Amino acid sequence: MAVLTVDNLHLRYGDNPILKGVSMDLASGEVVSLLGPSGSGKTTLLRAVAGLESPHEGRIQIKDRTVFDSAKKIELPAEDRHLGLVFQSYALWPHKSVKDNVAYGLKLRNVKAAESDERVKSVLDQLGLGALGSRFPHQLSGGQQQRVAIARALVYNPPVILLDEPLSNLDAKLREEARAFLRELIVRLGLSALVVTHDQAEAMAMSDRILLLNNGVIEQQGTPQEMYGSPRTLFTAEFMGSNNRVPGRVAQTRGGEARLQGDGWSLWGKLCDGARSGGDAQAVIRLEQVRVVDNGEGNRVKLPLSTSMYLGDKWEHVFRRDAMALRAYTHDALAPGEYWLDFPRERLWIF
Amino acid sequence: MRASATETFPRAFTILVTATAVLAPLSLIFYQSLLNAPFFDAQKAAGLDAYRFIFADSDFWTAFRNSFVIAALMTAIAVPLGGLLAFVMERTDLAGRRWIEPLLLVPSFVSPMVLSFGYVVAAGPVGFYTVWARELFGGAPWGIYSILGMAVIAGLTHVPNVYVYASAALKNLGSDVEEAARVSGASPFRVAASVSLPLIMPSLLFSAVLVFFLGFELFGLPLVLGDPEGILVLSTYLYKLTNKLGTPSYHLMAAVAVCIVAVTFPLVLLQRHLLKNSRKYASIRGKAGRLKELPLGPWKWLALGIIGLWIFVAVLVPLSGIALRAFVTNWGEGVRLADVLTLEHFRDIAEEPTMMRGIWNTILVGVVGGLLTVACYTAIGFATHRRNDGWSRFVDYLVLVPRAVPGLLIGLAFLWVFLFFPPLTPLRSTLFSVWLAYSVVWLAYGMRLISSSLLQVSPELEEAARSVGAKRGRVSRDVTLPLIRYGLLGSWLLVFMIFEREYSTAVYLLAPGTEVIGAQLVSLWQGGAIDLVAALSLINVILVGIGLGIALRFGVRLRD
Repeated sequence: MAVLTVDNLHLRYGDNPILKGVSMDLASGEVVSLLGPSGSGKTTLLRAVAGLESPHEGRIQIKDRTVFDSAKKIELPAEDRHLGLVFQSYALWPHKSVKDNVAYGLKLRNVKAAESDERVKSVLDQLGLGALGSRFPHQLSGGQQQRVAIARALVYNPPVILLDEPLSNLDAKLREEARAFLRELIVRLGLSALVVTHDQAEAMAMSDRILLLNNGVIEQQGTPQEMYGSPRTLFTAEFMGSNNRVPGRVAQTRGGEARLQGDGWSLWGKLCDGARSGGDAQAVIRLEQVRVVDNGEGNRVKLPLSTSMYLGDKWEHVFRRDAMALRAYTHDALAPGEYWLDFPRERLWIF
Repeated sequence: MRASATETFPRAFTILVTATAVLAPLSLIFYQSLLNAPFFDAQKAAGLDAYRFIFADSDFWTAFRNSFVIAALMTAIAVPLGGLLAFVMERTDLAGRRWIEPLLLVPSFVSPMVLSFGYVVAAGPVGFYTVWARELFGGAPWGIYSILGMAVIAGLTHVPNVYVYASAALKNLGSDVEEAARVSGASPFRVAASVSLPLIMPSLLFSAVLVFFLGFELFGLPLVLGDPEGILVLSTYLYKLTNKLGTPSYHLMAAVAVCIVAVTFPLVLLQRHLLKNSRKYASIRGKAGRLKELPLGPWKWLALGIIGLWIFVAVLVPLSGIALRAFVTNWGEGVRLADVLTLEHFRDIAEEPTMMRGIWNTILVGVVGGLLTVACYTAIGFATHRRNDGWSRFVDYLVLVPRAVPGLLIGLAFLWVFLFFPPLTPLRSTLFSVWLAYSVVWLAYGMRLISSSLLQVSPELEEAARSVGAKRGRVSRDVTLPLIRYGLLGSWLLVFMIFEREYSTAVYLLAPGTEVIGAQLVSLWQGGAIDLVAALSLINVILVGIGLGIALRFGVRLRD
């Protein structure tokens, strides 16, 4: 059952449209990421769900409660939506202790002191903050502050928890740990979560489903595997991973496949949206799918090695002839010279 | 977002009260100016007689021209000097800047009435410094009882108004642009003139408009310094109208008031427009680079010389004059200081109940009144906080309106309000009338203090409270208010200081029961009681000094 439904949401600042008809839903116990470049409207969508932005058209429903409906002129203020929201900056109240920060939502709901103490203690324990209740926010590390912000949003059991760029305020090392912690916590507590992020790796690691926003509309949605492995548009393909891009002309199509031809080369790949026979198109392939091989049998191109970079766990190479530049990984170093590059045809997308 | 009635009511109430307090007195002035007799006169009739009379009076035009000349000259002095001081204080490595900064702000906290009186007793024809200069050098080549003298003194004492805005703008300037000029071979003062100050031109322009309309509103200075030579400016012309005609000529005063506001109000709007633009200017330039102080090297002697001379002329001369004058029986050529020392003036004050009441009332209005005022300003601040609707914009403009009206006129207008509405008349001779007028006069200043506190609260802290279920009122009470409490305490202190300093607003409200030092000074000066003026001025300076001392001790920012 969907705990959150957003239907055809439009929102603009002045004359500037930010959301142009976004629809989505969030099932109970599911983690959905809102992914997109800056200005795509992902944070605005989250804030509209929370009641902090006013859309001018559409409908938002939380469980069986309509919290926003432009047609019926319903707009519940943020405080009546009963959601948990974790801010990018955490937004902990500096004048309240950790305990008071977390207990505030219960106080507003007139929970008795004894029960409130117990619930605060239990949520702090779950987040590994048991001993820090009487500290103030400025006495905590970034990671601890984030957990307090999560505890504050969880303590009154909201049906949905909204997280705005939850990891962006942590430094790189901490970020991967926090990612694992967050995913574990959400799964363990069976939470339904909507997470905003601009980092595709974070979105894939944390969520069951990804919504990719582009310029106020949903570009594509699906599981992380679908989004990464079978993008439907060039934008999705580009956004979800590191790619090689080669421009050319579609010389031939057959079944779901097409042959892209360029100056002295020709490659077969999957025919995707936008590419037509005889028209200009681009071949796109993830860096890690390109293999360096020693003969020309199959879907291959021969290029001279231009430069190599050592990345620690592997080498990254740049192969170049004139305008055509391709990158690929290998486990070992390569000697200067010409190499055959292999492009698995089901992994090469022609847009 | 729709709000419930419990949320709307306090806001509507606050806006209504504010609008009434600001607009009622001004409407009354306007209405009065269109009558041909005082509004309580049974014979009154509508007409433009009042305007006809003042436009036909050559004194009005002389006063208008004097106001204009003084305002222009003082702007020409205050802006370059204020900009230069700001550059030296903000951008160079001059030693002792921390100690100099409070001194730079002193003139803006001392009553202009007190400062002007200080100049009379220090640098007037028989002032301390004049007499000493004659004894030492055989001459004292300055005459302060002239338009030029007034303009120079007004210019020098308004330097802080420019300094505050210029230094705020310079703080946001990356030092790379200055270093580039330095590397190309410019001396520090050349850097200021050709790079730093041009880059903060919007702020300088803004403060130039500010100083110009403050010049138009001058009252204490021309009252004290213009009097001996009979030089009138608009405000003193208005003040003396009653003497001139012998009858209460409210309609004429109102007509002059409307003329003053007709000049200052467009300037206030222009200033607001410039402020918006200067903010744009600052944000276009993006993040300020790292701040590196410009080494002055040997130029530091010149910088110290300029600052020292300014402090001497604008702070030390008038204040030392008052301090000395309060303790001598008389002063003049050939008088030995040791022969004339006395505490008699203070004894006189202690024995005079109206004086003691004035001192007590001044403290009361500053401390208790200041607290109430900050509470009211805070309520207004919350009425517009995080609400971007028509009402907020209305309040934005509303609080600007009193800025354009000199305190003297607001005091006059409130006097009329209290006379005009019989239910209010009993309040007229209570301190409430003075407090209300003060709060309205300083509305724009106070709202800037409050809103700069409110702006420091990150919106997310409030949104976080709403998202866990707090109504708007609860958010204000549980989150916003506790977060700005130190800012509010600081505002209370600053409001205390300006209420101690204020003088012109209470002039027309002066009555048994409403005496405050500022208004008493004006009235005593008119009566020629120099000894008492000196002693009361010193007490006034000490009251402000206590506020300043507390502010410095607790690190309250003296400017917004």
